[in-house]
Amino acid sequence: MISRRALELATAVLTGGFGVAVVTSSFDNGIGWSSAGVEAGTFPFLTGIIIVLGSIYNLVRGVLPVASLANVRVAITQIELRRLAGLFVPAAIFVAAIPPLGIYIASALYVFAVLAIPQHQSVPRALAMAGAASLALYVVFERMFQVSLPHGALAAALGF
Amino acid sequence: MDNLAELLHGFTIAVTVPHLALMAVGVLLGILVGVLPGLGAPNGVSLLLPLTFGMQPVSAIILLSSMYWGALFGGSVTSILFNIPGEPSSVATTFDGYPMARDGRPTTALATAFGSAAFGALVGVVLITFLASWVAQVALAFGPAEYFAVYFLAFASFVGMGGAAPIKTVVALAIGFAIAAIGIDTVSGSVRLNMGIDELVKGVSFVVAVMGLFGIGELLVAVEEEFHARAVSSRIDWREVFRAVGRLPRHGVALLRSAAIGCWMGITPGGPTAASFMSYGIARRFSRRGRYFGTGEVEGIISPETADHAAGTSALLPMLSLGIPGSATAAVMMGGLMIWGLNPGPMLFVDQKDFVWGLIASMYVGNIVAVVLVLLTVPVFAALMRIPFVVIAPLIVIICVVGAYSVSNSYLDVVMMLGFGVVGYLFKKLFYPLAPLVLAIVIGDKAEDAFRQSMLMSKGSLGIFFANKLVTCLIVAGIALLLLPLVLQLARLWRKPASPTADTTSQEKVII
Repeated sequence: MISRRALELATAVLTGGFGVAVVTSSFDNGIGWSSAGVEAGTFPFLTGIIIVLGSIYNLVRGVLPVASLANVRVAITQIELRRLAGLFVPAAIFVAAIPPLGIYIASALYVFAVLAIPQHQSVPRALAMAGAASLALYVVFERMFQVSLPHGALAAALGF
Repeated sequence: MDNLAELLHGFTIAVTVPHLALMAVGVLLGILVGVLPGLGAPNGVSLLLPLTFGMQPVSAIILLSSMYWGALFGGSVTSILFNIPGEPSSVATTFDGYPMARDGRPTTALATAFGSAAFGALVGVVLITFLASWVAQVALAFGPAEYFAVYFLAFASFVGMGGAAPIKTVVALAIGFAIAAIGIDTVSGSVRLNMGIDELVKGVSFVVAVMGLFGIGELLVAVEEEFHARAVSSRIDWREVFRAVGRLPRHGVALLRSAAIGCWMGITPGGPTAASFMSYGIARRFSRRGRYFGTGEVEGIISPETADHAAGTSALLPMLSLGIPGSATAAVMMGGLMIWGLNPGPMLFVDQKDFVWGLIASMYVGNIVAVVLVLLTVPVFAALMRIPFVVIAPLIVIICVVGAYSVSNSYLDVVMMLGFGVVGYLFKKLFYPLAPLVLAIVIGDKAEDAFRQSMLMSKGSLGIFFANKLVTCLIVAGIALLLLPLVLQLARLWRKPASPTADTTSQEKVII
């Protein structure tokens, strides 16, 4: 169970962290006015400052008990969290599997695993859908629109 | 009258067999992405973008804009039949559309929605026809300072009128600007904000951001709630369609008011979502049957639908004539324009007459095509909703991955897309608006360039933004919009010092 407050806090820290990264990174390009006009780091520096200040405001507003947001106790329940993980974790594994396996094998495995392992579909049907998804990708992108998708290290090792 | 001659010329471009076919394809694909949860107009259009690079710009924009119209219609279908908004902008349609459909009048609800949507779109297109070239003419005289002022006004109006918490909007905007700055700086040629990752020199494409924010993010929001598509009958009774459309003129006041709200919100980038909520809220307050809203009132469907489509259509006006998109989808289309080698902004009306007027004419035709096609295909797409979500979700993930990869054949983009997905989920969950973020990614560079050019002209003095009447007005209006939420807050505190908490919850319903 994750509270609204924790979620607000995490997001504000995330945006604030990005802001800090932008500010520090913009020093490399110079800030302010030079003979060539406004220096390249100025605009990112200002946006970074705005992000940091805004994040601090959101942080305080999200955490303070006076704020109305504190009334919303639960943002994500246990069951919802499980469903979220059920979608995101396989998707992340799929993305991680693309460089070694290539997109065709990875997406077929991904579709099969998501459908067959929680037993949403029978194994033969899941196999058929996995094959169809992979084939459709190949036909539409590689053949019809001539967009080359990543074939992966495995295909390279096999000489494709 | 010049405009009408140009428009007729535009029709000769738009009404050809290949272009009509493209419209039909675009509308059908649009309804598809509109119906499917997790895929919406912004990422539908960005998915199609890589496939248009070989096309003529006119054909490409006709395909993409038709997809937009289709998506706007498709979102209403699921709102009415399933109580599941397919698009954020059709959330307000569920309030009265679903109750009416559930009470055994699905055809009436759908026909009312499509009829008023078509009216809203028509008003938007007429506005573009007569206003766009005039605005472009004015804008031809703009220098960098005026341009920066217009950009500033656009961003400020998100803060002042977007409906989300103002500081959250500011943060979203600023993050968009920072992302736009990543990569090679167009003025000095130096590499910025690559955070030590060499590949980031190429910058972060808005397509990658859109795929993650709207695609993965929306999927994550959708998966949280168990989907139980309790569909009401999706059979269309054609006689009732004509009867329902015939009854629309009785609600002329609501139609006109909603269209006006929609156009206003579309041009000053408030976006279709804010427009539909605002229109619904105002209709509930002013309609004679306002207290019956929520139980299947006709005007409860007319108001959000008309405003939604009027805003969606008129969002193209500032995109064409000023180079400032009025909605997230318009921002994606503008990104496409730049990739096709066109320079969005007033010069389009001088250099690319065929493109501009072909597009405007296609908007008239495309919306008619959309109404006909959506009515014909309602049963088909309603059946699509019966496919379990667990089957659709991995397919949408794969589509988003391929979409992000195909922008520049980079694996890093895929990883970033997934990261944007998490951000999109958090932002949606906590009511940070996404449209300004995307908008800032697309036009952040242009706004910065305008600022730096004006600084060069004035040798570093901010006085250039107050040098003449026009630019002063724009800047002052922008500052006023920025301060508007603060003033409202103070006024509220002054009137009701005891209860500062009640309003934020209602305010939070308006997202993006």
